[in-house]
Amino acid sequence: MANQMEDKKILSGSPRITKVSFFGRVSAVIRQHFQQIFSSFSELWRTPFATLMTVFVLGLALSLPSVFHVLYKNAERVTGQWDGASEISLFLKKDISEPRVQVLINKLSLYHDIDSVTYISRHQALEEFKEMSGFSKALNYLDENPLPAVLVVVPTKNAMTSAGSKLLVVKLQREQDIDLVRVDIDWIEKLQAILALVVDIVIAIAVLLLISVLLIVSNTIRLNILSQRDEIEVLKLVGATNSFIQRPYLYVGAWYGLLGGVVAWLLTLGMVTWLQSGVMSLMGLYQLQFEIALLNVEEVVILIGIATGLAFVASYISVKQYLVKIEPK
Amino acid sequence: MILFEEVSKIYAGNFGALKQVDFHLKQGEMAFLTGHSGSGKSTLLKLISLMERPTTGRIVLNGNDISNIKGNDIPYLRRHIGMIFQDHRLLMNRSVLENVGLPLLIEGYSRYEIKRRSLAALEKVGLMGKEDYSPIHLSGGEQQRVGIARAIINQPPLLLADEPTGNLDPKLSLEILSLFESLNEFGMSVLIATHDLGLIAKMRYRTLTLKNGEMINDGLMRGRNG
Repeated sequence: MANQMEDKKILSGSPRITKVSFFGRVSAVIRQHFQQIFSSFSELWRTPFATLMTVFVLGLALSLPSVFHVLYKNAERVTGQWDGASEISLFLKKDISEPRVQVLINKLSLYHDIDSVTYISRHQALEEFKEMSGFSKALNYLDENPLPAVLVVVPTKNAMTSAGSKLLVVKLQREQDIDLVRVDIDWIEKLQAILALVVDIVIAIAVLLLISVLLIVSNTIRLNILSQRDEIEVLKLVGATNSFIQRPYLYVGAWYGLLGGVVAWLLTLGMVTWLQSGVMSLMGLYQLQFEIALLNVEEVVILIGIATGLAFVASYISVKQYLVKIEPK
Repeated sequence: MILFEEVSKIYAGNFGALKQVDFHLKQGEMAFLTGHSGSGKSTLLKLISLMERPTTGRIVLNGNDISNIKGNDIPYLRRHIGMIFQDHRLLMNRSVLENVGLPLLIEGYSRYEIKRRSLAALEKVGLMGKEDYSPIHLSGGEQQRVGIARAIINQPPLLLADEPTGNLDPKLSLEILSLFESLNEFGMSVLIATHDLGLIAKMRYRTLTLKNGEMINDGLMRGRNG
């Protein structure tokens, strides 16, 4: 009797099926999302070997740009200390008198971008040259001292940058008593150009590797969809919408990205830690204390976020490309 | 319930699978659809279940003109149709209970409600106690019952069965048809496509006969009972 009542409840009544209320549907969608997030995670481990392979390939692909980023970050820290000119040499005109030199020194001392000015007279310059060159006897035969007086200018910290030094040089060149301004910032510019080139190369490699991540995930999801074609057809036949069917694939993709991101972080950590002892030995030779900065929390979150987002996008592309085309036959 | 008005379906290569077919299946009516292979039975069922679109003509299902329905609306209309297939179309990686509850899961019912109604549907088809089995471990007849339980769980007003007894022995075939009769008694419209004329003759129901895509007969088929 109870069974018959249940039968009537199931089969009789309005030809339209029982509708779930609006709030029921909203809570069902949220519930379905959570269920599908966790079921898609378990789905990954139905084929553990294939999943691990995919995750490690993603991790490797993502770890290279990540390691490059760490190395660049540290290179920038080192070169930041040698960013601009530490000294500028001002060769004075030969006929300048001592009082005028003092006036010039006082004037330069008032520049807001000059920290200190040291005066080397013509006589001091000759004596230093004799000492350094080893031609002291030969130089004694000269009728007059050929060397000019020099002012050695130390710019302030702000003016030590490449751009700041150039501005200061332009200002100094306008001084009438200065014959020649000499600043050795070429090597800094070269180093910065090399670093910029390295950055460009790293960006190019990173873009290629991120594209490869996109392709790997997209292809994995495509294979998943094609291998589950029968299941997708059945789901469509019983009234599943495309969004219901595609969600698990999107979540599987996101899981791949998340796990790949974590693997990339661990690989970066491992590789940089491995490099650290070598770098410290090298720095020790120059009597410098330097410790490699690893990825900080923010960078780790960005790395994992990029990996997850990228894999999600890749899954979405695959799902849009293949899932919607599957129709029950 | 189902209204076909001069419906034709022409496939690529100008092959006319259905030609100017007219019929009306009322709410609560049970009928057989018969004809030889290639007569258009499957095409007709595909048109009702929105797997195909008619080339010409009009199809009305449960008051909705589905001839030019939008793709996004198809899943929602399919929820009003219970479909049973000769090859069962079960998901072998899910349990019997999960297979049966699939339409309710899609509709967003709670887990408790899905289980309660799935067990009731399984009891109806005589499969209580097998809810945790994988369909792969069930016989053909049992798999067909799982398919039926899945088709009726969300109380569809219409049940379509494509060769539901094709792989079953005569005794089991009659049992399945009796099940359809009992579902029909509760107001569900049932359309069964079969080429088993012996089976049709044993049951006294309206029979739609197709031949080369044309409806050549619509009425009771003479059999042993009448």
